[in-house]
Amino acid sequence: MKYKGANIMVIFPGMDALLGGIKELQRSAARNFLVYAPVPHHEIEHALHRPGSPVRVYALVGALTGFCTGWALTIFSVYNYPLIVGGKPLVSVPPFGVIAYILTILFGALATIIGFLINARLPQLRLAEAYDERLSSDHYGIQIFGDDEKLKEWGKVMKKIGAIEVKHSGQ
Amino acid sequence: MSFQLSYKKTDLDLTQTLNKPKKWYYVAVFLLGLGVAWGAGSWLHQILTGIGVAGKNNPVGWYLYITTFVFWVGIAHSGTLISAILFLFRVKWRASVYRSAEAVTVFGLATAGLFPLLHMGRVWVFYWTLPYPQMGGLFPNFRSPLVWDVFAITTYLTVSSIFFLTGMVPDVAIIRDKARGWRKKLYGFLAQGWQGTDNQWRHYTAAYVFLAALATPLVISVHSIVSWDFAMSIVPGWHSTIFAPYFVSGAIHSGLAMVMLILIPMRSAFRLHPYITDHHLESLAKFLLFTATMVGFAYFVEVFIAWYSHNPWEQAIFIYRAFGDYWPAFWSLFVCNLLVPQLFWWKRFRRSIPFLVFVSVAVTIGMFFERFVIITTSLAHEYIPFMWGLPDLTFTELGIVVGSFSWFFFLFLIFAKTLPVVSMWEVKEQLDPPVVRKSKDRTS
Repeated sequence: MKYKGANIMVIFPGMDALLGGIKELQRSAARNFLVYAPVPHHEIEHALHRPGSPVRVYALVGALTGFCTGWALTIFSVYNYPLIVGGKPLVSVPPFGVIAYILTILFGALATIIGFLINARLPQLRLAEAYDERLSSDHYGIQIFGDDEKLKEWGKVMKKIGAIEVKHSGQ
Repeated sequence: MSFQLSYKKTDLDLTQTLNKPKKWYYVAVFLLGLGVAWGAGSWLHQILTGIGVAGKNNPVGWYLYITTFVFWVGIAHSGTLISAILFLFRVKWRASVYRSAEAVTVFGLATAGLFPLLHMGRVWVFYWTLPYPQMGGLFPNFRSPLVWDVFAITTYLTVSSIFFLTGMVPDVAIIRDKARGWRKKLYGFLAQGWQGTDNQWRHYTAAYVFLAALATPLVISVHSIVSWDFAMSIVPGWHSTIFAPYFVSGAIHSGLAMVMLILIPMRSAFRLHPYITDHHLESLAKFLLFTATMVGFAYFVEVFIAWYSHNPWEQAIFIYRAFGDYWPAFWSLFVCNLLVPQLFWWKRFRRSIPFLVFVSVAVTIGMFFERFVIITTSLAHEYIPFMWGLPDLTFTELGIVVGSFSWFFFLFLIFAKTLPVVSMWEVKEQLDPPVVRKSKDRTS
């Protein structure tokens, strides 16, 4: 989905109105829109039917990379400079397992945050032109992308549904 | 909570903590700054003069520095417990208290992390602890629990900092949207362009769950690894298989006490009573009672095993702890960590602010004594009598310990006036969302 070009930001004062707006967009098979909310809501999630976040894949790949790195680092270190300590085998599984365990978590966490930043498209130097400061507090918004004619129509429909303001931008 | 609060009121109430500080704040920052300066001066004196100015000696090579290190790592534990584990269990009351608890974790670790450096004779080669080979190709010994510790503490600090900062992003965006002038630019930079779109929330909530799931095993493993610094040795009183759960329960115990010690004055200072309610404090008190019982169980098992093992050195060390040079510390830890929290069996004590403060202070002192007794007495009274000896408490070492406490609270005060101390978006998530009208779909 491309969230670029001409768009309108529709501001709703309540969640019931927002859900009405989403339903109306879906009824018309419109898909190029973003929903803004001050907190995550299951109702919005269910209404939008977006796919699951790929962040989970990043977490898994990061954790597996950390696990392998832990073993590789410790095993390489003892074969690189073989030194028997206390009559123990060079590759000592329990202590090396501790390093692998910790690196599993460390790499998993780092990959998770990288996955989040990439998918959420953060950091962003500029906020959306139509972004409204009320959206982080107690208002909801739908940013609809499309051609001017269609956007004008949507603006009227959304006002009927309960929008308190419709801002045009990106023209 | 949902009967009195709204989204707007929550934002207003919780951003007022960032208003211009009152006089008490400057006085507190100044006094803590003096403590930090004392600590920094003592460290400088130690670097210039040599490690001998610290009270540690032979045989007690680990004394107050390592005691304080273990104490601060322990303090750091409750934050992740409250923020990550209670999040995974969907415990609702955590929303109001977890941000401060996480700050306790991050600042506790930032303080603890100084102690391995403070303990070094040549701090300027601290990077030798990192896992890279020397010029001959020899890596640090990965079989050593001290190397595990470097990995564990660094990972814990990294993961808890990520978790702490990630949790704050939506709140920083709220502050950005309310701020003006240079503050708007600053918080705009910190918010990294967060706008609260459905895509951002979708990836954010997924990342938050995974970070919580990854941080949870760290709560258990970090202090287990710290305990293995001791348990992997053959020193009497240290070489014990129960050390890992014993240390973890003690860590959570001390961390909860510190969280209460921070929350209670903060609640009064910022008038956060609608958000940090008596119910929240009571829940923490119940948790503290649970950890006190776990810690008490570990104390008795330790003493029982010393007796039951018929190991003369193990028995000797426990007799020495109870009746030797440091007997007041030994008995104090039982009273402070086990007996005093038993007051929380009664609701009126769990609901009484003075008692909550009293018990939290007692547990904090008791847990410091616990670390002190474990570390110092075992080294002071090892196997061979001619090796027995006591450390000296020096002004330098005392200055560094006082400096560490000042540093921790100093960091917290700076945090309390720059970032939201209660998670706004998670408190709002518990409230009923704003609605226009409660009729059916407007379009129908």
